[in-house]
This record gives sequence, structure tokens and C-alpha cells, in this order.
Amino acid sequence: MAEEFTINLKIWRQAGPDQPGKLVDYTLDTVNEHMSFLEMLDVLNEKILNEGGDPIEFDYDCREGICGSCDLMIDGRAHGPKAMTCSCQLHMRNYNDGDTITVEPFRARAFPVIKDLVVDRSAFDRIIEAGGYVSIKTGSAPDANSIPVDKQVADTAFDYATCIGCGACVAACPNSSASLFTGAKLAHLNRLPQGEPERKKRTVAMVEQMEEEGFGDCSNFAECEAVCPKGISISAIAEMRRNYMKAALAGDEA
Amino acid sequence: MPSFLTALKSQVGRKILTGITGIGLIIFVILHLAGNLTLFGDYQAFNVYTYTLESLGWILYILEAGLAICFLLHAYIGISIWWNRRKNRPEGYEKYQTKGGPSHNTWASRSMALTGVVILVFLVIHLANFKFADTNMITLPNGETGRNLKAVVMESFQNPWYAFGYSFVLVLLGLHLKHGFWSAFTSLTMKHKKYSAIIYGIGIIFAILIAIGFLFIPLYIYFTGGQGALIAY
Amino acid sequence: MNLESNVPEGPLKDKWSKHLNDIKLVAPNNKRKHNVIVVGTGLAGGSAAASLAELGYNVTSFCIQDSARRAHSIAAQGGINAAKNYPNDGDTIWRLFYDTIKGGDYRSRESNTYRLAQVSNEIIDQAVAQGVPFAREYGGLLANRSFGGAQVSRTFYARGQTGQQLLLGAYQAMMRQTHNGNIDLHTRHEMLDLVVVDGKARGIITRDLVSGEIKRWMADAVVLCTGGYGNVFYLSTNAKNSNVTAAWRCHKRGAGFANPCYVQIHPTCIPVSGDYQSKLTLMSESLRNDGRVWVPKEKEDDRHPNDIPEEERYYYLEEKYPAFGNLVPRDVASRNAKIVCDKGMGVGPTGRAVYLDFRDAIEREGEKTISEKYGNLFDMYENITGDNPYKQPMRIFPAVHYTMGGLWVDYNLMSNIPGLFVAGEANFSDHGANRLGASALMQGLSDGYFIIPYTIGNYIAGAELDKDIDIKHEAFNEAAENAQSHIDKLLGVNGDKSVVDFHRELGQIMWDKVGIARNEEGLKQAIEEIQALREEFWQNVRVPGEAANYNKYLEFAGRVADFLELGELMAKDALHRDESAGCHLREEHQTDEGEAIRNDEEYAYVAAWEYQGVNGQLQEKLHKEDLEFEFVELKQRSYK
Repeated sequence: MAEEFTINLKIWRQAGPDQPGKLVDYTLDTVNEHMSFLEMLDVLNEKILNEGGDPIEFDYDCREGICGSCDLMIDGRAHGPKAMTCSCQLHMRNYNDGDTITVEPFRARAFPVIKDLVVDRSAFDRIIEAGGYVSIKTGSAPDANSIPVDKQVADTAFDYATCIGCGACVAACPNSSASLFTGAKLAHLNRLPQGEPERKKRTVAMVEQMEEEGFGDCSNFAECEAVCPKGISISAIAEMRRNYMKAALAGDEA
Repeated sequence: MPSFLTALKSQVGRKILTGITGIGLIIFVILHLAGNLTLFGDYQAFNVYTYTLESLGWILYILEAGLAICFLLHAYIGISIWWNRRKNRPEGYEKYQTKGGPSHNTWASRSMALTGVVILVFLVIHLANFKFADTNMITLPNGETGRNLKAVVMESFQNPWYAFGYSFVLVLLGLHLKHGFWSAFTSLTMKHKKYSAIIYGIGIIFAILIAIGFLFIPLYIYFTGGQGALIAY
Repeated sequence: MNLESNVPEGPLKDKWSKHLNDIKLVAPNNKRKHNVIVVGTGLAGGSAAASLAELGYNVTSFCIQDSARRAHSIAAQGGINAAKNYPNDGDTIWRLFYDTIKGGDYRSRESNTYRLAQVSNEIIDQAVAQGVPFAREYGGLLANRSFGGAQVSRTFYARGQTGQQLLLGAYQAMMRQTHNGNIDLHTRHEMLDLVVVDGKARGIITRDLVSGEIKRWMADAVVLCTGGYGNVFYLSTNAKNSNVTAAWRCHKRGAGFANPCYVQIHPTCIPVSGDYQSKLTLMSESLRNDGRVWVPKEKEDDRHPNDIPEEERYYYLEEKYPAFGNLVPRDVASRNAKIVCDKGMGVGPTGRAVYLDFRDAIEREGEKTISEKYGNLFDMYENITGDNPYKQPMRIFPAVHYTMGGLWVDYNLMSNIPGLFVAGEANFSDHGANRLGASALMQGLSDGYFIIPYTIGNYIAGAELDKDIDIKHEAFNEAAENAQSHIDKLLGVNGDKSVVDFHRELGQIMWDKVGIARNEEGLKQAIEEIQALREEFWQNVRVPGEAANYNKYLEFAGRVADFLELGELMAKDALHRDESAGCHLREEHQTDEGEAIRNDEEYAYVAAWEYQGVNGQLQEKLHKEDLEFEFVELKQRSYK
């Protein structure tokens, strides 16, 4: 069995959306290297419960890095120190005995805190709602092989489609911009022949919705790419800009 | 579809404008440095250059107006982005750091507004000190009478406050360009990953060259007391 | 309990088209007047909600996650089957049907399984049109790969994230309808009860997981797409929030729970490392193509694996199954891992793991080739365990992965409560006693896109629903009070043992006695132990916080309370099914080599249980739907 070690934590506690929050100190001396970061928080919660306290609320579900639920700002970095990793895939072997770790929620005006580390990311859903789809009805699709798609185009579309909607890009961006999230969905759909007919409309609608939700400007920091658990490239943002301006320049002309 | 004007007011449009004006300013900076380097020419080269420039007349005014628009628009958008940054994250992080890797999130990129504003303030002083300075008149080699701006430059930079203040601001300009050069291209929708990396590299080299180019002049003049062999004065 | 399957007459291949010709339709202008509730936003729920809304119904949709994009369908890695026969290797709808029903060890309904194969092709068309970026060949056409249990290449895939891509397709279709106002979507809402009026499902009760508010929702039909119940084992590959509550509460309102004992256990997962473990991570089955499974011949051999010489290694799958070797089906691989560990040959700190060794493959093909094939999986393994699988064998162990059982449904996917439809993993219908790889995605989407949208119209058109009721109806009052009092009861126990401890203990009982292999004695013990644990739960559980707030422990307490009842039913079902079939292995019924022996004479039926209350013991009445095989011949599976 792996040896246990001690971790000091400073965790953001906030009772509700409009209440003040603060960092609270905890010490956990039963951490072992095989635990995931979230399992470490589970153990801490059990300890808090045993002492009669209120457990820390945080979002999670699949715990294998694909659902996009977990969203922790760990020591000032979205999803912690490792690249291409969700909070749930971060293991405690990345830490040493006696380390102090600060845990905060993903912060942005568009991601209001619900409780402790839980935030409301429904703004992302509304961006998709605005145009992040191909408008086809069930049952009306032609045979799947009727439109060949260049393998490279399909592979690149896939790379952008791997976005898990966790919000790390927004959390880490100094401006709280959602450009990578929005750009990734646009880059996925806009480059496929199936998505082409709605390219202009989709791009404009999603860009406008993104702004309406209160996400900030993109200043090309590329921090979003660094924290993205799927490593989505900021090329998506440049592409979004190009499609948006082309749509505006073309106006209503077909 | 949004009208073109509406599109320019959007987040995307604003970045496009920042990119275009930024590239305009980059071109200006290059030309300005080229002009400055005439200080190393013969005794009157710099004064001939400034005289020629000023004798462009209305063409110069148009160029200057364009430049002013670039400056003001660039600054306005930059400052508003900085302002929105606070608004869009009302409660900041207790701890924040970059994850590194592909990130260009550095002090330089986060402080574009700050370095930009310092450069703007400097610009006002700079214009007052040089462009609108009271100068002696001098007879140029071509027989015309022109302003002796070279004397202003040589004297100003022997003042330590001015020489080092100017140098400090130009270091900031270098930092501004380090992010700004590549960022302008990215804002103008350069999406190719390979070219993006190349342009980022070029941007850094460019920023260093510009900074060195501008810095060399005041520091050289200061440390040689205006008597250096490279400048005929 | 009415278990009329409503399977249409006629030849197998014509049943569905005949049914479509015969069923009643709702006129387009009338669809607006009908509300349909869809619970869950996984593949089945997302596709059903989107398709129903496209047809014009007023859809109200619910999910427990913070977004409709996060349901656990997203984690499916491998792919989705369809009988397109693009590779020209002789695949047909019949073959897909036959492989599925054989893989399920002949414990599913022929007509349902055949229909699944029939609509499989349309799913691929639909997904591609939505922009799902499936893998493609250089010519630009779709690529296929082969998957366990099939001799043809019929699996479509999007790298190792097929579930994610298909789910996002359904989610996006759903968000389009949400934007158009045809779907009223409520995230972070948990269904706590079904409202039945005049014998028909007419609404649900939910708890708003943020505010704690208990809300009532009325509809003309309810579609339950709430997934499987693998988390009854505490540790499984399921997401942490996956649960049985919605289905179980419907069961308590009279819906039959069918074949609860059919649980699929996946052979290649990363083993448990300690008590704090919260879930198990699946490693793709494809690893068995090149990895060799072994344990040390000597018991409790604690040498480093690399120090154990060749002649002291027991390659048990290769020795026992020379034809299939390491590629035996999931249930066989899982069972054999348990057998060697039970004998004391298991490895690792817990002794509950076996080696999956790539040494020979690396020697043969080079590290580079192996890295190209499995690099991401090796990295994932190293990230979780800290061990480098290029240098030493991986340690793997089976884990609960999928549940074939679920609420009983007829051919229309309607439960025995009229108006309550059940789709996806939540129903029992298509996989029998074992599910083949790449079939779960197929079933979820087939139910949601291509079956429910038609069969629900048939129901609504003929249901003669009482138009005068509203959410103040007595049945709504009763259900809402029931939900509230359940919560109050949980909060009122004020004991001193945490919900997680109860869940972990339940999981241990289930895993030990209702897991990979079962026997009469163990199942009887399990029933008693679960009863005792349930009793203790209601006397000693500690649920912190309050009802009117975000309170994850309260959510879990409600789910664990239901698992504590379901667990007993699973053990009861496993005990009553005195045969082995697919994933259900009764140790009393196996060959000398440990192969399952079915008893078609007595057990070729669906066991649908009717809830009759909990009184110390769980009271359940067994009903049977006999399975008739008109078109396939029942054979014993063999992978020798």
C-alpha cells in the first residue's frame, strides 16, 4: 500500500449565489499517490462530515475526463498543473507531502457561483442553442456515404468536436472569453459539407450569443489552448473571426 | 446578417480593427526607426530627412491624420477590452498563474493596456519635445532653411531623465510588440498553425530589433556625451 | 401485470414496416396540443426529445447534470454497429440481428432485436448528416472496424470517443429545438416520482437540485431514458451520478422491472487501489488484441512481474481457450479473472488483479508500433497508476459496465403502465443476458430517433386522456408529498454513518455475491445482508445540510436508498434464475471448464417483477413473458 501524506488546502466556500465567499483552510493527512484530486476531496468531505461540518460542493460525473462536469481552478490553473487533463484525471502523485493547494471555482460573470465550487455554465448551452447544430430532421438524412468527406477535413473536424464544454477556457482566460468554446464548435461544423449551408448564419448567431452572455474579448493569450483538456487549438478562433467577417461582408447576398 | 458596421462593433470586429490599426502602427514604427537612423548619417542627414518630411505638406497631414486615427482607435479598443476584463470577472482569483505550453499569457500580453497607455502618454510628451519643439533654424545642404532638430535630439538625450525615460518606454514598446505583432495577425484570422508559430517567432525578433534600434540612439548619445564617433555632431 | 408484448404478426423482416403501416397517427396540428416528458438526456433521451419536438410535440426534458451534453453515453469509447455492409464483407441485417441475439444468449425478444438491426443503418445516416465526424478512409468514405463477437467489420467509430460524438449530435439537435421553443429543458432536475392517473402515466415529480424545490409536471406521456443501474455496485465504470432512482420509483408505481440480474462486467478495467476509490476506469478492450493475460502460477507470489520467469506464468485464457485465447468474449474473460484471483493467484496490493502483458508484442512489433496503436491508453494507464506499461505489465480487473435488465417494455417500448415509455439502457429489451460491444449506442439511438417518435403517436392517438386534470390533481398531490416526505425522512434519520459508507458496503455485497459468478448460498446471504444494511441505513444514515439547497449528499442518499432495494431484487432475480445465461453465471450450472449452461426448457422467459412493498424484506411478485424463437435456433455458445 502506498504511503499516506499530508496536503494543506485552501478551498473556496460560498453558501449561495449572492453570498460572500472566502478561502477556508483544511488539512488532510490521509492522502495517497493513487487518489485522484476529486477522490482526495471525497475523502476530505467524509472527514468534514465526521466532524459535523458541511461538505464541500463540487461538480463531477464521469471521472474519466470526458463529461466535462468537473471544473476546478487548482492553484490558479484551470484543472491544475498538468496539460491535457481534467480535474478528475489529476492524481495526487503530482503533489508532495506538506504542499498547500488553493482550490477555487471557475470564475466569470457568465459563470455565476451556485455554491462553493459549483458554477452555472448554462451560458454555453445557449451558445450552442443559437446555432451549434446542423438543421436536419430525424429521418431525412441521405445515405451516410453519399457525400465523401476528405479524411483530413473529417479528422480536423473531429479534433475541434472533442470539446467537452467544461469551461476551462473561460476560467483561465484573463478576459473570460468564450472564443475557444464557440470557435471549436464552429470549426467542427463549418468545415464539414453537412455544416456548410448554415455556415454564415451559424457563425453570426453564435458569435452574437457569446457576446450577449457576457463573455469577454479574446486578446489572443492562448491560455485557453494551454488549459483545454482536449488541447483544442486557438486556430479555431482565427477561423471564427474569418467566417464572421466574411458573413458580414457578404451581407444577405447568397 | 449584421451590417458591416455592426460587425465591426462586435468582439470579432473590434479585434479585426485592433489588428489593422496595430499593423498600421507597426509600419509607422518601422518607418520612424528608419528615419531616426539618419542620425548616423552625415552632419545634416537627419535635418534633411525631417525637412523633406515636413515639406510633403497636405500629404503629410493626411498620413498624420491616418496615423492619429490608428492610434486613437487602437487605444480606445484596447482600453475598453481592459475595462471589460474587470467587468467580466467581477470576483478575481486569489491565485492565478499560466499553465505554460502553448500559452502566450505573460506579463507582456496581460499588460497590453498598461504598456499601451504609457506609450500614449509618452507620445504626447515626445511630440511636444520634438515635433512641436522650438528649434533654431539652420541652412541645409540644398540651400533651404530648415529646423535644426538634430540639435534638439542631441541635447535632449544628454539629459539622463530624458534618455532613460525614453529608453524605458521603448522597452515597454518592445514588450507591447512581442505580443502585438503575432496577435495582430491572429486577430486578422491567420489560422494556420505552422505559419502562426513562424509569425510568433518573427514577432519576437521584430520586437527585439525595434527596441534595440530605438534604444541605441538615446543610450549612445547619453554615454558618449554627444561626442561619439558614430554620430556627426 | 399485463405483459402483452404487442409484437405484430408476420415474418420477422416485415414486422416493423407492417407496424408502421398500422399504427395510429396524430395530425400535425394536433401534436402541439400534446405534452411529452422526456427524462434523461443521454443518447436515448436526447434523440427522443429532439425527434419528438421536430414532429411538433411539446417536449419537456429533464436531466440531473448541469447540461444536456453530459449524460454518461458520452463516455462510450468503441463504436456503433450498423449493417451497412460498406466493407462488402457479407454483412446483412440478419447477421447483425443474429449476432446480437446469440451474443445475448437467447434471452431477448426476437422482434425487438431484429428491429434494432433494421434501423441501425438509418442511425448512421442521421449521425453523419448531423456532422458527427466518424473516422473515414482516404477516399472520403466512412471507415469500419471489427469488434468483439462479430466476424464482419460493421462498427463505425470516431476515434475512442464515439459516444461523445453521437451524444453531441443528439444534444445539438435537441438544443436546436430548445431554441425554437419546442423543448422546455430543465437541467439539474431529478425525477423523484411518476404520477399515475386512471392507470396512465400523466406526469412526474422532480426536485430542483439547486433550490431543492419539489415541482410537478404534467404530460400525455412520459419517456424514461435514465440509463442503467450499474452503480448499485458502488464501483463501476458508470459516472458517479448514474442511478436507478427514476426507474425504481416507476417500478414502485407499478412498472415491471425485467431481468434485473443481467449485469455486464467488463474484463479490462484498472483495478481498485484503495477504499477511497470512487469509480473504475475502463481500458479499451482492443488491448486484448496484443496483450497477453497471465498470473503467477504460485499463489501470493509477490515478486515483481518482470522477475517471474516464463515457465512460472499461467496464461490461463490461452491455455483454456486455445481457439480464441485472449480474445474470448467479455463475460468469459471476466469470469476467468475472478477464478484465478479466488485461487489466490491475483496480483497487486489487493490480490484482485491480473496482468495484461505487452512484452511479447513490443518484442515482436517494436515499441513504436505498439505506441501508435495504444499510446493514448498506455498514457492514461500511467497517469492513473504511475506504472509504465511499456516496462512492466498492466494490472487489470473486471468491473461492472452495463446493465441489460431494466423496466419491462412491449414492442412499442411502452411499460406495463400505459403512457410510460422506456428507452435506452433503462429498458430491458434488446440485449438479452449479454450485450455485444458497440451495441449500446445503437440501441439508445434507435429507440430515441426511430422508434419512440412513432409509437408514442400511436399511444396518444388512442389513449383517450382525461383533459380536465391538472397538477393540482390528487395524484399529483400524493406523489409530491411522497417525494417530500422521503427527503424529510432521509434528513431526519440523523445517524452517524455516511451515505458513502452504506453505498460502499452494498457494493461489496453485490460484487462478492451478485457479481461475476453467483450461487444459491451466496445469493441467499446477499439478500439477508442487504436487508440488514437497508434497515441500518434507515436508522443510522447521516445526511448533512438541508432540503432547500444544493445538497449532493442528499441526492446520493435518495439514490442509495433505492439501490438498497434494487440490490435485493437483483439477488432475488439471480436466485430465481436457476440457470446460467450470458453474463448471469450460476456456479451450479456450468461445464467443467466453467462455461455457462442455459436451461431453455424452463428459463426462456423474461422475468418481470412487480413491486409489492418493503416490509423488512422486499416484496416482489414474479411475472413471466415467454420468449418464443420463431426464426432462430437456440444453440450453446462456445468459444473453445
